[in-house]
Amino acid sequence: MAKKEYLDKYPRNPARSLWVMKPVSKALKIFFKTIAHRPVTILYPYEKMWMPENYRGRPGLRFDRCVACGMCVKMCPTACIKLVDTEDGSGQKVKRPQVNVGRCAMCGYCAEYCPVDAMTVTPEFELAEYTREDLIYGPKRLAYEGITERMEIHLEQTLMSDIKNGNPERRISPFKTDRPVLVEAKCISCKRCEKVCPVKAVTMVEHGVNEKGRPILYPEFNNDTCICCENCVEDCPKDALYINEVL
Amino acid sequence: MMSRDVIDIKAETSELHTDKMWVIMGPQHPFSHGLWTLKARLDGEIVVDAEPIIGYLHRGWEKECENRTYPKIIPMADRLCYAASMTYTHLYCMTVEKALGIDIPEKAKYIRIMADEICRIQSHLMWLAAVGTDLGNLTVFLWAMREREFFMDLNVRMCGARMTTNFPRIGGVRNDIDDEFAMFASRCVERFEKAIWDIIAMIDDSSVFVSRMKGTGILSREQCANLGITGPAMRGTGVDFDVRRDDPYDNYDKMDFEVPVLKEGDSYARYMVRIEELFQSCKIIKQCLQKVKAIGRNAPYRLKVPSKVPAGRAFVRMEDPRGESMMYLISDGTDKPYRLKVRSPIFVNVSAAKPLVLGSRIADVPAVMAMIDMCLGETDR
Repeated sequence: MAKKEYLDKYPRNPARSLWVMKPVSKALKIFFKTIAHRPVTILYPYEKMWMPENYRGRPGLRFDRCVACGMCVKMCPTACIKLVDTEDGSGQKVKRPQVNVGRCAMCGYCAEYCPVDAMTVTPEFELAEYTREDLIYGPKRLAYEGITERMEIHLEQTLMSDIKNGNPERRISPFKTDRPVLVEAKCISCKRCEKVCPVKAVTMVEHGVNEKGRPILYPEFNNDTCICCENCVEDCPKDALYINEVL
Repeated sequence: MMSRDVIDIKAETSELHTDKMWVIMGPQHPFSHGLWTLKARLDGEIVVDAEPIIGYLHRGWEKECENRTYPKIIPMADRLCYAASMTYTHLYCMTVEKALGIDIPEKAKYIRIMADEICRIQSHLMWLAAVGTDLGNLTVFLWAMREREFFMDLNVRMCGARMTTNFPRIGGVRNDIDDEFAMFASRCVERFEKAIWDIIAMIDDSSVFVSRMKGTGILSREQCANLGITGPAMRGTGVDFDVRRDDPYDNYDKMDFEVPVLKEGDSYARYMVRIEELFQSCKIIKQCLQKVKAIGRNAPYRLKVPSKVPAGRAFVRMEDPRGESMMYLISDGTDKPYRLKVRSPIFVNVSAAKPLVLGSRIADVPAVMAMIDMCLGETDR
């Protein structure tokens, strides 16, 4: 059994603790012990506290890696992320996340659930501004220089089937295993999944002709480029798609 | 002219209500740590009746959970109680895991209970700081906050956040701990076990503290059972029960620790139980570090779980720093909970306010109520 550290020494005679010279002598002892201490506080605006690399401050974005899949928008618990129109380096119109830092809870979900590791956490914590509009960080302002490896969070999970099969050391991201599956009877060939796919992993393939003479198109998914963002599943008007979760 | 005796008798038997009065303390009052009110009825200096009023911090937490998917509730569970964020996220994750019927990896269990104990230490230290200010000693407040800062730094090293940690996940924990963290943690715990004796010396040998805590706010075992009081407040009255030992969750049954129990039932006993729990938590952290090291670096720490929870009910209880917290989940088979009920220990413990302060002087009320360790975030939800 573990021994009690404090209760074995206490309680003692309460009359002793009420004797007035005892605390004075104890306090003097502590005074001499602490007088040689270096200060624990720092002069804040001039000196900054050291923060480890993995400190979760405001979210950061790597503009080039982002594919505008909207996973961060879906996962944000405070709904502070929004996809906005912007221009990339070559002048093309693209969508990128915009973060309202005034609402951000610094939970790090946007970085954790980013399928392409574009969102990161940054150690920046001095975010005070004078107006609320200044708190909205656009895609360009979200960039953070000096992103190191520990600021990225990779979603590494172990599959339950792997543990059963005696391969418990394999860790895999769910964005590499889960894929959308089509229920062909429900599909109406509307091509919406092809339009919303951010990585162009959906191609509509012809499967014969229906009774009215129109071609029947079914989506086919490229398993290598798919990032499992579930945009096609959510936008399907007939619920013909679902995500097959590999467990 | 009436004699002196006649006047006294007249005052005693008069129908005028000038003898007893209600004193309303709170919701903004130095004694109430958080937003709550204690109405105390005074007969001179003596409290003859008391009534706690809560509800100033109600945010509709449980209702809001019904609109969120399961992983999105974890950051919200952090905000139930900022001093015990790890235990509440842990409790929520355990509830969903029970509903899913999965068993999480060994390593995740050890990391989780280590995070819990770090959380318990920093929560108790914050309570100690509050007791220091309530009893008028700012040195204890500053020193307890200084010690707490080391455990906050451990939290940052472990998961990147100081208070609202968002660390446990359904199926494991957010990230693995590295050797660097293990080194810092063992160093921090060893330093703390020596440094806490300074604060103990400040309190236990000070007549200011001891005379105000000894013999005040006495609670009996029967009252504990009737009011449903749990946690250190219960163990200070001689009830030998701790969920960690008697109904072990995760890997607490493999840990070697002692549950402090004292029979006195006064404020001082509750103080001593909490101080002893600090030492026992240090022991658990050290054992966990060894176990995690023995398991090895490549062991799994996070399982992949289905996003939809099968229809059913799950109920889990755990030992929070403040008492026994429970969560009850009803799922209807979708990716959002149908209902999530939280049983917060302080919501029940605050009902002991009347028996605790009854008969004590009004000046003792802050000292007595500080021993409950109020946290309004989880009480009002």
